Amino acid sequence: MGAKVAAALAVAALVALPPLLPKYHLEVLISVLFWAYLGIAWNLLGGYAGQFSFGHAAFFGIGAYTSTLLLLQVGLTPWVGMILGGALAAAFGLFEGYLSFRYGLKGPYFSLVTLAFAEMLRVVGVNTKAVGSSLGLVVPSAKAAPAMFMFSGKLPYYYIILAMGALALALTWKIGRSRLGFSLAAVRENEDAAETAGVDALATKLRAMALSSFLTALGGTFYAQYFAYIDPTISFGPSVSIGALLPAIVGGAGMVLGPVLGSFVLTPLSELTRYALRGRAGADIMLYGAILMLVISFLPQGIVGLVRERRARAGQR
Amino acid sequence: MSEHTRGLSGEPVNRRTFLATAGAAATVAGFPAIVRAQAREVKVGYLLPVTGPLAYEAGLALNGLTLAVDEINASGGIKSLGGAKITMMPGDTQNKVELGNSEASRLIDQGAVAIIGPFSSLVAFSVRQVTEKNKTPFLLLAAVADNLTEGGLKYIFRMQPNGKGMATLTVNNMFEMAKNANVPIKRVAMMHEEGNFGTTMGNHVEAFSKTMGYELVQRIPYNLRSPDLTSELSKIKAARPDLLIVSGYYGDSKLIAETAAKLKIGVTALVGLANAAYSNPKFIAENRELTEHLFDGNYWYNPQSARARTVFDAYQKKFGSTMANHGVQGYQVTFVLKDALGRAASTDRDKIRDAIAKTNLTDQILTQDAIRFDDSGEGINATPALIQVQNGKPVVVGPARFAEAKPVFPVPKWKG
Amino acid sequence: MTWGLLLQAGVSGLLLGGVYGLVASGLSLIFGVLRIINFAHGAVMMLAMYTTYWLFALAGVDPYLSVILTAPLFFALGVVIQKVVIEPNRLAAEHNQLLLTLGLALFFENLALVLWQGDFRTVRVAYSNASFMVGEALVEVPRLVASGGAVLMAVGLFAFLRLTDVGKALRALAEEPEGAALVGINVSRIRAASFGLGSACVAVAGALITPFFYVAPDVAESFNIMAFVVVVLGGMGNFVGALAGGFIVGLAESLGAAFLPGSLKQLVVFMIFVIALLFRPQGLFGGSRGR
Repeated sequence: MGAKVAAALAVAALVALPPLLPKYHLEVLISVLFWAYLGIAWNLLGGYAGQFSFGHAAFFGIGAYTSTLLLLQVGLTPWVGMILGGALAAAFGLFEGYLSFRYGLKGPYFSLVTLAFAEMLRVVGVNTKAVGSSLGLVVPSAKAAPAMFMFSGKLPYYYIILAMGALALALTWKIGRSRLGFSLAAVRENEDAAETAGVDALATKLRAMALSSFLTALGGTFYAQYFAYIDPTISFGPSVSIGALLPAIVGGAGMVLGPVLGSFVLTPLSELTRYALRGRAGADIMLYGAILMLVISFLPQGIVGLVRERRARAGQR
Repeated sequence: MSEHTRGLSGEPVNRRTFLATAGAAATVAGFPAIVRAQAREVKVGYLLPVTGPLAYEAGLALNGLTLAVDEINASGGIKSLGGAKITMMPGDTQNKVELGNSEASRLIDQGAVAIIGPFSSLVAFSVRQVTEKNKTPFLLLAAVADNLTEGGLKYIFRMQPNGKGMATLTVNNMFEMAKNANVPIKRVAMMHEEGNFGTTMGNHVEAFSKTMGYELVQRIPYNLRSPDLTSELSKIKAARPDLLIVSGYYGDSKLIAETAAKLKIGVTALVGLANAAYSNPKFIAENRELTEHLFDGNYWYNPQSARARTVFDAYQKKFGSTMANHGVQGYQVTFVLKDALGRAASTDRDKIRDAIAKTNLTDQILTQDAIRFDDSGEGINATPALIQVQNGKPVVVGPARFAEAKPVFPVPKWKG
Repeated sequence: MTWGLLLQAGVSGLLLGGVYGLVASGLSLIFGVLRIINFAHGAVMMLAMYTTYWLFALAGVDPYLSVILTAPLFFALGVVIQKVVIEPNRLAAEHNQLLLTLGLALFFENLALVLWQGDFRTVRVAYSNASFMVGEALVEVPRLVASGGAVLMAVGLFAFLRLTDVGKALRALAEEPEGAALVGINVSRIRAASFGLGSACVAVAGALITPFFYVAPDVAESFNIMAFVVVVLGGMGNFVGALAGGFIVGLAESLGAAFLPGSLKQLVVFMIFVIALLFRPQGLFGGSRGR
């Protein structure tokens, strides 16, 4: 009961407070929601299906570049370009996934393959003049044009990412309770046993991959429109890949709210350590690395996992 | 009102007293605008990658900024603002795009009337969104990407040469020097790091070939983390270039110079283009033999300017190191702002912006004519210097009117 | 396309490959026994490079000789890391172990940044710039020494694992973890020793690299990914395979640089990586375990 009230208050705050926030705080909040969104998208494949991708930037970049190139070359609104980017990313994800799963890549081997694919896209991007190579692409943003996903001020972007996050969260929740969710859990826990029980592991994993890559690509378009500039390193580089998975792991992979909680902890944490330790180059990331190790060691199931464990134990008393 | 009105207590109240009282009353009533106009400080924000991989270069730029601010404040601050002193508000981007964004917002929230920075072009793209939306003047530092000033933005200014200026004017300077030495340059090769910086330079060198009448025989981008570039340099040697241009960062530029020397690459000169290493005093000091006679086209102070020499000495005294390109920029861009603040006589951001746009600063330490900006915010007269390392010191050898030494050209060691 | 260019690409490729193999051998060993992908491997090498640098700068110790000091020092460090960070989490999910080593890498890299700042340092010895020509191809002496070191290390490790008790225990643990415990091998001690040994190897690699490569907190990034590619190609746990894999990767990169435009040589390496992972994850030479 208390949890429900808290949740309702949190939602109300997320909806009502932002117009009152000073610029900087709104920035941070948008950042938190953005990484939470990417974490939710990653979670479908990494947490729910248990396939730990180290290269989700591949899909992010495909989304960002598709919508931006379509915008710049044929004037297509990013609202539509976003969906096309998502479809393209899903296709690439299915290709990548089929190759990997069909050839039985699991665990760290799968992680390394996804990393390799993301890096390959980066190298191709850097060496392709047609997509701007390392000069990147500038997204026009001088005038507001809501139909073209361009807004003045930050508030509209906030509500967009909030909506995207809410939808992704709802989708995750629904999947968790569906047959697909059941299959995913079975595959995650023990793929062979799942197969014996009649679950088509390959199809299940591919479905998760398609959904995950589609959603991630939408995040890429958001990024392009919000920051108004993309290049191969931003789009396909490790910071997006790592940034997408950390909230889910810290918050709790395979659990609905995991990435959200993770992002609400990690993003302000990195801001705080940076602020507190300014003046000594690197001290903040050093602390961040240490905290990461501690969290992984003591909260292997993430924050949500810890909460659940506590509740279960409380329930047993 | 007339000069003599009776106040509440019956005293004669003249205008001056009335205004003073009114001011005081307004303060009590909480009218911040009036209070601010009497502020004795002007807040200026800087954005630099203070921590992270570019911390060293950022430190050099910060040195220049600090030197300038101290000089300005010591000599009475901004006179037209009642001697207001400049307060520098630090912003650390860690060379990250999102941080550039949030730090810029924070600084503006906290009252910065202008932003200087942010070093990396990538971060600059993100910062200019914030500064433009908040109508805050943004004075670029280091960032060379040409398209930064594109898009009809009103609040962005670049004092130093952009990518195009750097590339074309450096090539011009080299060709000028070659002409004087009667050594023709017909074949040019270029190696550049594959990121935004290198690619910008590479594109311009390629585009400029027809105008200057040279053939770009090889253009090779490389990943700056690459531990070996021998194959690439062999390819270049095989193409028999007269000149090799290198746009890179520290470690990779060093590797290229070393490998090129060992391969006896056969060019008449190796010239850096906004190279992070080839005119870097520290790099030179640690690699005497390697760096001797290397060229670099880069922003620099004017050795013919008495003021520049004074500043150079002051820098040396204060920081114990040689003032080089980043320090020069940090110093001069602060004075551009100071000059604009003086003419604007206001801390209103729009007035400052307009004042910057009308800048015509001749009292400056750069290797160029007066500092002026065009409509898009680019420095009209921005010119890089051509520097050569001679006897372990980077000296200006071009353009001729700023030169402090004659160039050694062709450079014999590349032929072995 | 001249024969000279091809020869140079071949020679440089082998020399580069030797360096890659040298860096990767410790990683291969660690994976073979502990089954973890150690993202902190490059960071440990970076710390060893700094150690080599400081020994040289402060005490004039030649980098090649300094391995006598750095190898045992980093063996100890490896043991400490394993006992403090890895072992308590050995039953954790594989991805968590990956993230642990990632966090460790971040910690070490930024520790170096805090302690020694980001500027480049160089170890300048008399032979740093020594080189000679083989036909039209340049051979740089320090790289040749590093490649030689790679071969020696592979041979040494091979002998160690075949001939010593600890070595045999390591092999046993790698091949049959449960069985190893049953025959009385002190599993936790051997596990610690394996990480220690892997760290000692990468420390030697770092020392051999300093005469020709700069020292900075981010040097790991030049070698990390390549080390993983090499380990996969050679077969995880097969450090002789790592040496061979190193040569293959080095040659591929160097030939790619000679024949492909732009910086596409990176693509060649990644494609080899993906193909190896898909079609022969046990490595070209067979690893201690397949998938």
